[in-house]
Amino acid sequence: MNALIFSAVSGVIMMFSSFLLNNKNSVRVLAHVLLLATIIANIFELRGISFFHIDTRGMLEFDRFALLFTLVANVCTFAFFLLSSRDLEKIGNHYSDYFSLLFFILAGIVVSSSFKSLLMLFLGIEILSIPLYILTGSDKRNLKSNEASLKYFLMGSFSTGLMLMGIALIYGATGTFQTGITVAEKVPVLLITGMMLLLFSMSFKVSAAPFHFWTPDVYDGAPTVVTSFMATVVKAAGFIAFMRLFAEEFGSIRPEWKLLVGIVAAVTLFIGNITAVFQQSVKRMLAYSSISQAGFMMLAIYSLSNDAKEGLILYAAAYSLATIGIFAVLVRMKDYTFEGFNGFAKQQPFLAGILVVFLLSLAGIPLTAGFLSKFYMLKATIDGGSLALAIFAVLMAAVSVYYYFRLIQSMYFKTGNATISGTTTGFKYTLAALAGITILLGIFPNLLTNWLYF
Amino acid sequence: MGPISLIALTLAALLFSAGGILVGKLFNKGSKNLQKGEAYECGIPTKTSPWHQFNVGYYLFALLFLIFDVELVFLYPWAVVVKKVGVTALVEIMVFIFILFMGFLYAHKKGALKWM
Amino acid sequence: MIVLLLFLVPLIGGFLSFFIKNDKTVRTWALLTSVITLLISIAGNTFAHSPGQLHFSSSWLGSLGSSFSLQLDGLSQILCLLTAISYPLILVSTWRSSYKTANNFFALMLLTQAGLMGVFLATDALLFYFFWELALVPMYFLCSGWGGERRIPVTFKFFIYTFTASVLMLIGLLYLYFQTPDRSFSLQSFYALKLSNDTQSWVFWLLFLAFAVKMPVFPFHTWQPDTYEQSPTAATMVLSAIMVKMGVYGVIRWVLPVVPIAAYSWGDVVMSLSVIGIIYASIIAIQQDDFKRLIAYSSIAHIGLMSATLFAETKIGYQGVMVQMFNHGINILGLWIIVELIERQFGTRKLSQLGGVAQKAPALAILFVILAFANISLPLTNAFIGEFLMFSGIWSSTVTHYNILFTVLAILSIILAAVYTLTAVQKVLYGPESSITEGTKDIHGNEKMVLWVIVIMVVVFGVYPQPLLRITDGFVDLLLNKINVAHLFVK
Repeated sequence: MNALIFSAVSGVIMMFSSFLLNNKNSVRVLAHVLLLATIIANIFELRGISFFHIDTRGMLEFDRFALLFTLVANVCTFAFFLLSSRDLEKIGNHYSDYFSLLFFILAGIVVSSSFKSLLMLFLGIEILSIPLYILTGSDKRNLKSNEASLKYFLMGSFSTGLMLMGIALIYGATGTFQTGITVAEKVPVLLITGMMLLLFSMSFKVSAAPFHFWTPDVYDGAPTVVTSFMATVVKAAGFIAFMRLFAEEFGSIRPEWKLLVGIVAAVTLFIGNITAVFQQSVKRMLAYSSISQAGFMMLAIYSLSNDAKEGLILYAAAYSLATIGIFAVLVRMKDYTFEGFNGFAKQQPFLAGILVVFLLSLAGIPLTAGFLSKFYMLKATIDGGSLALAIFAVLMAAVSVYYYFRLIQSMYFKTGNATISGTTTGFKYTLAALAGITILLGIFPNLLTNWLYF
Repeated sequence: MGPISLIALTLAALLFSAGGILVGKLFNKGSKNLQKGEAYECGIPTKTSPWHQFNVGYYLFALLFLIFDVELVFLYPWAVVVKKVGVTALVEIMVFIFILFMGFLYAHKKGALKWM
Repeated sequence: MIVLLLFLVPLIGGFLSFFIKNDKTVRTWALLTSVITLLISIAGNTFAHSPGQLHFSSSWLGSLGSSFSLQLDGLSQILCLLTAISYPLILVSTWRSSYKTANNFFALMLLTQAGLMGVFLATDALLFYFFWELALVPMYFLCSGWGGERRIPVTFKFFIYTFTASVLMLIGLLYLYFQTPDRSFSLQSFYALKLSNDTQSWVFWLLFLAFAVKMPVFPFHTWQPDTYEQSPTAATMVLSAIMVKMGVYGVIRWVLPVVPIAAYSWGDVVMSLSVIGIIYASIIAIQQDDFKRLIAYSSIAHIGLMSATLFAETKIGYQGVMVQMFNHGINILGLWIIVELIERQFGTRKLSQLGGVAQKAPALAILFVILAFANISLPLTNAFIGEFLMFSGIWSSTVTHYNILFTVLAILSIILAAVYTLTAVQKVLYGPESSITEGTKDIHGNEKMVLWVIVIMVVVFGVYPQPLLRITDGFVDLLLNKINVAHLFVK
C-alpha cells in the first residue's frame, strides 16, 4: 500500500512540477527524491510497517511476493532514472510529464502485482499500459515513434478486450471476481475459455509467442530510453501478474493449462532466440532477446513452485538490471548496429568491461545473476516434471550466446571507431554499481530471495 | 452454463456484427450520385473540401469536455446516498472533486484551454 | 586450507593483474603468482596429509542444496600439480612474446588457472559447473583477443560447442540432484545414488557429451584443430596441456562412479568411437603440413587412447590414464614450445618450408628429438609408461568382448605416431636448408631452460614413475570399488 500511494501521489506531484519548478535540473532531482521515498516506504512495508490502513475489501493483498517485486521494480526504475533520466528529458518538451507517467506505471505495477480480484488485475494492467502508449509515441516528430505508439495501442486494446471477455466468462462460471476459486470434479467450460482468453491476453502483455509480433516494431520505434524501461521493468511486472494469476486463480485447474503454457514457453524461446540471431541492429536484437528471456520466465509459470517464485524475482532483477545497463549505453551510441560497436573496448575499456558483465548475465554464464535465475527456472521445470522442456530451454540458451557474444566480439575483437557521447563519471560508476549487483546476486542470490521469507 | 451457451454467445456476436453489414447490403438500393457523396454538416452545404486540416484544439476541447462530463455522472449516485452515509460522503466527494480540479488545473496550466 | 589457496591465489592474482599497466611488472606478477601456486600445490602433495588441509567446506547457496566444498584427493592432486607446473613453464617459455594490453592477457590466463583448479577440486556439482564455465570464459577471451587471422569465428565455434555441451551437463546434474534423497549437489550424495538402468543411460549421455567435447572424442573434435591453430601459443598450451584433461577428469569423477551401469553398457560404443578417433586423427596428422595442426591431431589421438582406457575399467589402465594425463600435459607443452620457437624464428609453421635446422641449432634439435620420442612413447620416456599401462589395461579388460581388437587398433596409433612425428622431425631438422632457415640461430635463455626442465621430467618419469603412481594408487582402488559392475549386479 505504501508504494502504491507514494508512487501515485508522486505522479501527480511530477505533473505539476514543471509549473512549480522552473528548471530541468530541479525537476529531475525531485523525481529521484520521490522515487527514493517510494523505495524507502516500500522497504518499511516489507519490514511490516504500513503507513496507510485502507480497507481494500480483499481486492488487493500486499504479500511478500508482491512487495518484494515492487521493491525490485522500484530499484530498477531508480537505476533507470540514474542512468537515463537526462536522455528521457531529451525526447520532447514535456520532460516532467515523462517522469509522472513513469510514476503512474509504477503505481500500475503495484496494483497488478498484488491483486486479489480480477478487476484489480485489469485495472493494474491498464494503469501500466496506458502511460506506456503515450511514452511510446512521445517522440512526436518521429514517424516511427507514432507508428509504434498506434500499433501498440491498437494491439494492446485488442488484448485488453480479450482479457475483459475472459474475466467476464470467469465471472459467469464462478460468480466472483475474487481469485482463489475452487472447482468441482468437472471444470466448467466457461472457466476454461476464460482462462484461455486470459492466457492469451497476458501472453500478449509479456510478449510471449505467438503473441509477440508487436514487440520488435514497438521496441524499435519507441524512443530508446522508453524501450529500455518497457522491455525490463514493465515486462517483469507483466510476468509477476501472470504468475499470480495462474498460481492463485488457476492453480487448481493446472492440468488443463500446463501443456499449453509449456508450448507457449517453448515457442517463445524458439522464436525469440532464432530471430534474434539474424538482427543487425543491437536495439532490435535486444527486443528479440527480451522475447527469448520471456520464454525463460514462462517456465516459472509452467512450474509454479517456490523455486519458480524465487527464480522469477531473481530473474526480474537480473534481467532488468542487465538490460537497463545495456540500453543506457546504447542510447548514447551514435550507431545502433553491431558494427557501431566495433572497437568500443579500445575507446571505453571500462564501459566495455561492464557491458561484458551484463551480456554474460543475459547469456546465463555462471557467477552472474543471469545464470542463477536461469538455473532456478530449470530447476523448477525439472521439478515440475518436464526434462524435455528444460533441455530445450538450455539449448536455446546456448543459441542466445551467439547474439550476445556477437556484441562482445564487436566491442573487443573488431576494429572500428565506435562513437559514444555524454558518458560522465557518475554514469560510469552507476553502471559499475549495477554490474556489481549483477555479480553479487550471481554469487549470493539469497540476499534477494531471502526477503521472500524473512 | 456450458459449452452451448458459449457457442451461442460467439454465434450471436458474429451474427450481430455480420448481420448488420448483411442487412445494409440487402436493402441498399444502390443509388450513387454526387449529392450522396457530399459531406454533411448541419444541413448546410459545405463550402470547401472537407479534407483540409483543422485545429487540434477542437479535439482537446472535446476530450476535456467528455472527461469532466463523464466524471460528473458520478455525482448522481452520490447524491442519492449522501444522507445515509453522512459526513464521510461529503469528505469523499470533496476528495473526488479535488482530484478533478487537479486535472483541470493541469490542463489549464498546460495551455490546453487556450484557443489557438 | 591448502585447497582453498590453490584456487584463491590465481583468482586474486588474476584480478589484480587487470590493474597492473606496466608490461614487465605484470609478467613478473603473473609468474610470481604461478610459482606461488606451484609451491602450494607441491606442499599439498607432499607435506600436508591431514584432512583439515585437504578438505574445505563452507556453506554457500544452502537453499539450492549446494555448498562450497573442495577436496584434494589423489586424482585432484595429480591434475592440480600438472596445472601448477604448467603455468610457470608456459609463462617463462612465452616470456618474449609480446601482447597488446598485456595486463588483460595475463589476468585472463590466471583466471583460467583459477577455474581449472576449481574444476579439479570441486566436490559439489553446482560448484563444479561454476568452475567449468569460469575456466571456459576467460579462455574464450584469450583465444579471440590474441589469436591468429581467423580467430574470431574459430574460437566462437569452440565456445558455442563447449557451452552447448556444458549446459546439457547442467541438466544432467540437475536431474541427478532431484534423484538424491537429501536434495543435494554433493559428490557423496551423487555416489550414493542407485538409478535404474534406463535413467543411467541418458544421464550418462547428458554428462558425457560435455566431457567428450572437451577431450575431444571423435566425432566431437572438430573445434579442436582450428582452435589450437588460431589461439595464441600460451593459450594453446593451456588448452591442450590442461584443459583437455578437464574432460578426462570429468568422466572419472562425475560419470563413471555416478552411472556405472550405463558406463558399462555404453562402454563399447565409447571405446569404438575413441579407437576410431585414434586412427582417424593419426591418419590426418600424417597429412598435415601445418606443424600446429599436426600436434593438435596427435593430441586427439593421445586423448582418444585415454578415453578408451577409461571405459576398460581395469586398475592398470586407470593407473596408466592418471600417469598419462600428467605426462601428456608435460610433453605437449614441450612440443608447443618447439612450435613457438620455430614460428617465431622463421615466421612460418609450414613443415614443407623448413629444413636443415639441426646443423645450426643443435640444442633445439636434441630437445626436439627427445620430445618427439616422447610423443611416440618410446621406452625410457614418460609417455611409454602411461601408454604401456593403458594398452595392458585395455587388453586385460573384462567389461568388453572386443578388448583384443581395441588393443591392436590402439597400438596402431604408436606406429602412426612414429610416422607423423618422425616426418615432422625430419622435415624440420634435416634435409636441405630452405631460404627461410638459412640464418637459423640456436635457442637460449628461458626457452632452453624450460625445455630442459621438461626433458628432464620426461626422462625421470620415464625411468622412475613411482612418485606419480603412488599419488593416485589409493584413488584408483576406491574408484574401481565404486564402478565394479559385477559387484553392483550382485546387489
